[in-house]
Amino acid sequence: MLRFDATKLVLTHASNSPIVGNLGPTTDELWHAGHRDRNFYTYGNMGLCSSIALGMAVSTDEKVISLDGDGSLLMNLGAIATIGREQPRNLVVIVWDNEQWGQTGHQDSHTAKGTDLEQVAQSCSIRNTATVRDIESLDEVMQKAMNEDGPWFIVAKIEEQGYMPVSPIEPEMTLYRFRNSFVS
Amino acid sequence: MDWTEIIIDSLKQSDTSLIAYVPDISIDRVTSKIDEDPYFHLVSATREEEAIGIAVGAYATGRNSAVFMQSSGFGNSINAIASLCIPARTPIPIFMNMRGGPGEFNIAQVPMGRATRPILDDLGLVHFTLDDEYNMDKIVNGAIKLCHANRQPVAICMTQLLHGGKLA
Repeated sequence: MLRFDATKLVLTHASNSPIVGNLGPTTDELWHAGHRDRNFYTYGNMGLCSSIALGMAVSTDEKVISLDGDGSLLMNLGAIATIGREQPRNLVVIVWDNEQWGQTGHQDSHTAKGTDLEQVAQSCSIRNTATVRDIESLDEVMQKAMNEDGPWFIVAKIEEQGYMPVSPIEPEMTLYRFRNSFVS
Repeated sequence: MDWTEIIIDSLKQSDTSLIAYVPDISIDRVTSKIDEDPYFHLVSATREEEAIGIAVGAYATGRNSAVFMQSSGFGNSINAIASLCIPARTPIPIFMNMRGGPGEFNIAQVPMGRATRPILDDLGLVHFTLDDEYNMDKIVNGAIKLCHANRQPVAICMTQLLHGGKLA
C-alpha cells in the first residue's frame, strides 16, 4: 500500500473532519491529495502530530484524524498513553508505518525490529485498534472509525516509494485557515 | 485572592478553558483547583512538549489554552515551542515553576532553571517573573492579553518566593 493512495482514501472518508498531517512526506502528500482548510499541516515538532490531534479532539465534537508516522510516534510514545487516559471518542489515529526513518536515510525504525504499535495502543487502554496492509482493509476500518466511537488507533503498513514535491511551508497560514474554519 | 485564585480568575477572564500540564508539587495548589473546577478541562501529559502540542491543537479549533510545567520541563519542550508555536503564531500562556532560585536544594535543578529565561530571550519570547502577589492580577491578566495580541507564547515564571517551593 502506498501512502499517497492511502491518504486519498482517508480523504474520501474524512468529509469536513479536521486532519493533522505529520511533518515531511505525510504533510506533503496530504496537500497533494486534497488541500483543504481543515488540513493542519505540520513542518517541525516531530512527535507531536497525535498530541495536536488530541488537543483538537477534546475541544470539538467533530471526528479528528491524525496522520502520524512510526518514527515520529516512537519519539513521543507517551502520546499514546495520554490518548488512552483521555479516551476521546472522536479521535482517529492512523500511523503510516513504513518501518523506517525515511527522511533521514531509510534506517530501520523500531517497528522493523519487533515494536508493535497496535499492541502499545492496546496496553494503553485503546480498545479500537487495527493493523492493515492493503487499501481494502484500510477502507473497511475507516468506515467503522468514522462512524463508531473511539478512540481509534490504526496502524497502516505502507511501502516507501519516492517523495512528492514539498508542499508550501506556511505554518502561520495553515493555522489561520484551519482555525478560521472553526471560529469565523 | 491568593496567587492560585488570581491565576484561575485570569484564565477565566480570557476564556482559557483547556489546560495541559505535567504535574509539579510547587504549583499543585493551582492545578488541583483547575482539576476540580468544571469550567476547565485539565489534560495530564507525560512530557512537557506533549502538553504544548495538546494546547496548540485546542487553540487551532478555537479554544483558548494554557500550559503548566516546571522550568526543567521547559527544557523538554523547547523544540515544540520553537518549531510549532513560534512559526504558527499560537498564543499559549506557559505557567512555569522556576527551579534554581533562592531556596533551591537540588544542584541538578539549577542549570536548566537558570538557563530558562535566557533561552526564552533567545527565542524572542516575552516572560514575566512573579516573586510575590503584588500587582500579580495586573501582570497575569496583562501577560495573557499580550500573549493573544502578539500571537506568541508568553511565559509566566513563578519563583519559590511566590509559592513557597518544594521542601527538601
